Amino acid sequence: MNVLLPLAALFPLALFALSAFSPWVRQRLARLLWLAPLPGLVAALFAIDGAVTLPGPLGLALDFPGAMLLGAAALIWLAAGIAAPAFWREKLETLPYQSWWLLTMTGSLAVFMAANLVTFYLTFSLVSLAGYGLVTRDGGAAAFRAGRVYFTLAVVGEAFLLTAFVLLAVGTPSGSMAIPDVVAALPASPSRDAALVFLILGLGSKMGLVPLHVWMPPTYSAAPFPAAAVLSGAAVKAGVIGLVRFLPFSAALPGWGEALAMVGFVSAFFGVAVGLTQRNPKAVLAYSSISQMGFIAAVAGMALAAGRLAAPSELAFYALHHVFAKGGLFLALAAIATTGPRHLRPILWPAIVVALGIAGLPLTGGALAKLAVKDALGSGLAGTLGSLSAAASTILMLHFITRARTIAASDDRAEAPLAIRGAWWIAAAAALLLPWLLFPSVAGSIGKVLEVKAIFDLAWPMVLGGVAFLGWSRLSRRPELPPGDVLIVLRPAATSVRGLTDRIARAEAWITTWPVAGTLLLLLAIGFAGAMVAAR
Amino acid sequence: MTPGLMATTPGGLLLVLAVVVPVIGILALWLVRWRAIEWVAIATLAINLVVSLATLQAVRASDASLVYLVGGWMPPLGLALRADGIAAVMMVMTGAIVAVTALYARGQFGFDPHGPERRRPMVFWTMLLAITGALNLIFVGEDLFNLYVALELLTFAAVPLVSLDGSRDTLAAALRYLVFALAGSVLYLLGVAVVYGAYGTLDLVVLAEMRGADGALLLAIALMTAGLIAKTALFPLHLWLPPAHAGAPAAASAILSALVVKGSFFLILGLWFDLLPPGLGAIGANGLGMLGAGAVIVGSVLALRQERLKLLVAYSTVAQIGYLFLVFPLATGSEAASPFASLAWTGGVLQLLAHAFAKAAMFMAAGLVYEAIGHDRIAGFKGLGRIAPITVLTMTLASVSLMGLPPSGGFSAKWLMLSAALGEGAWWWAVVILAGGLLAAGYVFRILVPAFSTPEAPAERKYPVAPVRECAALVLAVIAILIGFLPLAPWPLLAIGRIAQVSP
Amino acid sequence: MSLAPIDAATLYGLTGAVLVGIGLYGIVLHEGFIRRLLAFNLLGGGVFLLFGVIARRGAGAGFSGDPVPQALVITGVVVAFCATALAITLIERLAAEDDANDGDGSS
Repeated sequence: MNVLLPLAALFPLALFALSAFSPWVRQRLARLLWLAPLPGLVAALFAIDGAVTLPGPLGLALDFPGAMLLGAAALIWLAAGIAAPAFWREKLETLPYQSWWLLTMTGSLAVFMAANLVTFYLTFSLVSLAGYGLVTRDGGAAAFRAGRVYFTLAVVGEAFLLTAFVLLAVGTPSGSMAIPDVVAALPASPSRDAALVFLILGLGSKMGLVPLHVWMPPTYSAAPFPAAAVLSGAAVKAGVIGLVRFLPFSAALPGWGEALAMVGFVSAFFGVAVGLTQRNPKAVLAYSSISQMGFIAAVAGMALAAGRLAAPSELAFYALHHVFAKGGLFLALAAIATTGPRHLRPILWPAIVVALGIAGLPLTGGALAKLAVKDALGSGLAGTLGSLSAAASTILMLHFITRARTIAASDDRAEAPLAIRGAWWIAAAAALLLPWLLFPSVAGSIGKVLEVKAIFDLAWPMVLGGVAFLGWSRLSRRPELPPGDVLIVLRPAATSVRGLTDRIARAEAWITTWPVAGTLLLLLAIGFAGAMVAAR
Repeated sequence: MTPGLMATTPGGLLLVLAVVVPVIGILALWLVRWRAIEWVAIATLAINLVVSLATLQAVRASDASLVYLVGGWMPPLGLALRADGIAAVMMVMTGAIVAVTALYARGQFGFDPHGPERRRPMVFWTMLLAITGALNLIFVGEDLFNLYVALELLTFAAVPLVSLDGSRDTLAAALRYLVFALAGSVLYLLGVAVVYGAYGTLDLVVLAEMRGADGALLLAIALMTAGLIAKTALFPLHLWLPPAHAGAPAAASAILSALVVKGSFFLILGLWFDLLPPGLGAIGANGLGMLGAGAVIVGSVLALRQERLKLLVAYSTVAQIGYLFLVFPLATGSEAASPFASLAWTGGVLQLLAHAFAKAAMFMAAGLVYEAIGHDRIAGFKGLGRIAPITVLTMTLASVSLMGLPPSGGFSAKWLMLSAALGEGAWWWAVVILAGGLLAAGYVFRILVPAFSTPEAPAERKYPVAPVRECAALVLAVIAILIGFLPLAPWPLLAIGRIAQVSP
Repeated sequence: MSLAPIDAATLYGLTGAVLVGIGLYGIVLHEGFIRRLLAFNLLGGGVFLLFGVIARRGAGAGFSGDPVPQALVITGVVVAFCATALAITLIERLAAEDDANDGDGSS
């Protein structure tokens, strides 16, 4: 079954290549996009524990946490692929998006199967860079502005990650590039601390950990709904799989673990706080993603501090729910935006359940996700902060629901195309039900879920959050921040960067005049002679 | 001196062939009708490629340098030709790129009785063969003066290619290139005079055996280095490169950017790693590294600002040349860190190879774009993917290597150099490498994003382009990618016959 | 110290150095490619003189002059001649282009 792994990774790419050269495929491709992730879905079901060595430095391997995320990502790509042609109905022929869609998908699915450093870097880069095409899909000044922020953060994040990987490789005495080998060598590596810093910076920029989150809200606000669904649902999980793969959970590193947990909780609460100031429901969801990814980082940090071997499955399980919940809610927004009040109910009600599921609504998939990571957080301060973050999420999700209603179509009879509604229902069903199937493999008996104490532990933060939301919504004057909050502060910095490049260009023009260059030539000859004599 | 080293080895004749075959080809060009010129040139280049492959094979098989003593005279009196592992790799690279370029250029330089330059086909093919021969001579040359002649041959063959279309701008660019290169050559020649005055020999191996470390040798190396970096167009001496490389016809730009600047770089490598006594280069190597860093940053920033594709690609060459010079501080960094030095050494050679293939492909693609849509303004690239998919694929693959995404030669080079930098704790070089990668991603995306997007109105292809030519460019880009499938470790091949090892 | 100790070789050497200096000055600071080209030739002449000095100074084994530098100078002169010819051709072509443009009245 190992052949499924390269097939899953390369099938979207092959479709892209075909479409570039065959007009026949090109014309039909838009409606066949949903086919592209199918091999990934099949691989997630049937190729667990498979491993394939590809030519050169590349290699694929799939373990259980990777398979959970691969399957989830493939499913959300599939749902979004069903919705996308319906969403872009009238612009399908003139503004195709398939190339970026398929390239992003290739990276997004393959990153969960990457077996070594080079493959991980390749797939991580692919999903990040190609995502630019999805962000700017519909054009417009805001989209390109968001695209620039996205691209900058993406390449900076990649540079961090590359640094981390080189440090990992240099610190591995065997010279192996396989991820298990380099992670095993990490705790004893002389460059351990630097490697961990750059890992967290690189992965954090993908996950949107504060303060590297600034790209996420403007990007999701500017991206079309189906693109935002796959970016927030699937693409961001490249960062989560990075934490899962590269943190050395077999060795307890309390200092590093607690530092990461702190960063995570800061993001978790910051995301909620700023999310409440947003009016655009897409931006609200983006801040919710920042908060949720922060929560995942916090769980990973506490697991690292304790040396918890079960952490990879638990983290992947939590992220799996988020794939469907967040990706699904963006699809729900796509449906709401084209649906009038009359037909809104079958779309909005599941959205309420799924949204509150993110906060841990008992008996939903989200509740199972929270329960799965409960032990990793422990019962101390981290556990309390975890519960409080659930309360905070409740507020944010209630805010989201009120904002989501406002974008419904004004035409009372309007109804979203079945493809969009269907895609949303698939994602919603997956978010609510799939965790039930997987819970026993991750966290043991399903009976835990039904215990009164478990339900109480989940319910009280939600009640607290609900009350707080009532108070919040009564406030007459609520603050508003633009998507990307501190970006505003950074804008002067962007201008000064532009000024700097102007100055570099002027200096270059001066250097390349003949007398200056000629003088430099002589000075260099003298300088080299001096340098060598000095070294003697 | 190892006795076996200074005798003609079996297979030494290959080195003579590598130099002589292109010259015979040039002579043959003048004997045939102009219609047959192309085929004679292509046949010559094919033979040249076979010769260089045979050289590589012979070096690998014997695990030692090939040596040929011209006329059987030993240095210091006679001239020696010598190919070690790295020289053989350079010869194969040159042979491959020139041969593919010839296929790309076939039919491009027609005989136009009314044009300003009727002899264009003759000029192009003669100069292409001359560049091949001169580069081979540089790679196998052992005698500093002999290398001077080879360098001048290289420059004299490259300059006419710049002004092949005879327009005012390209003539001015060619003249600027020529005179600045001449200033560099004189400095080099001055260094040669100093070396001969102090040591009475110009043979690199003999000089390395003498292990001199006096002021004369240092002065000579400084003079030669300055002259050579003027010819390599290392920042801040790159004034001639962007207009010359951007103005030349695409096939010529490919050769100039991919190969010609590497000839003088190869000699700097020889001077610093073979001739300079260990330890004396520490400060100077850092100086070269700093110039390289300046090139990476300034070249990339300028590339980001260009409106026209060919200028963008030319400034990208300025930046990529900068990476090459990071090998000096990284590979001479410290004696104790020799595993990292060999990483940096391989990384530097890989960068040279990857850039040669990727940049040649990029310039050829730029030429094809120009032919397909009639301009090379980046703002007008919307829909290019539709009308020239193979060319856009070529640009994409070449870009992947230029910005250092895996798997590609550019990535392997970046990885090895980063490993060396971080392994030695020289993080400031790592910052430069990474910053260059970020900026490179920026400037290639400026090309690729419009090329991938689709315009509101369907774009039209102005002129048909022969598929052979599109495929020629694609082949080079694919090779740039394939280099990334080689193991990410020092190549033993590159250590074969290093002078530094010959005289430990 | 009198002028007497200056033998022919030293004089040649000093002359060469002066020529190199003048040449470098000219090639770096003069406008116009003809001047730069002339400066290049002075520069080359200076370097060739230095080779001559080396031939005399470095002469060993009972020879009154080392033949190798002389051979190098001859080759160098040919190379410099080629360079000059190529540059002159380019300068001429450039001037012809400029004339043609002036003739059009476009500038």
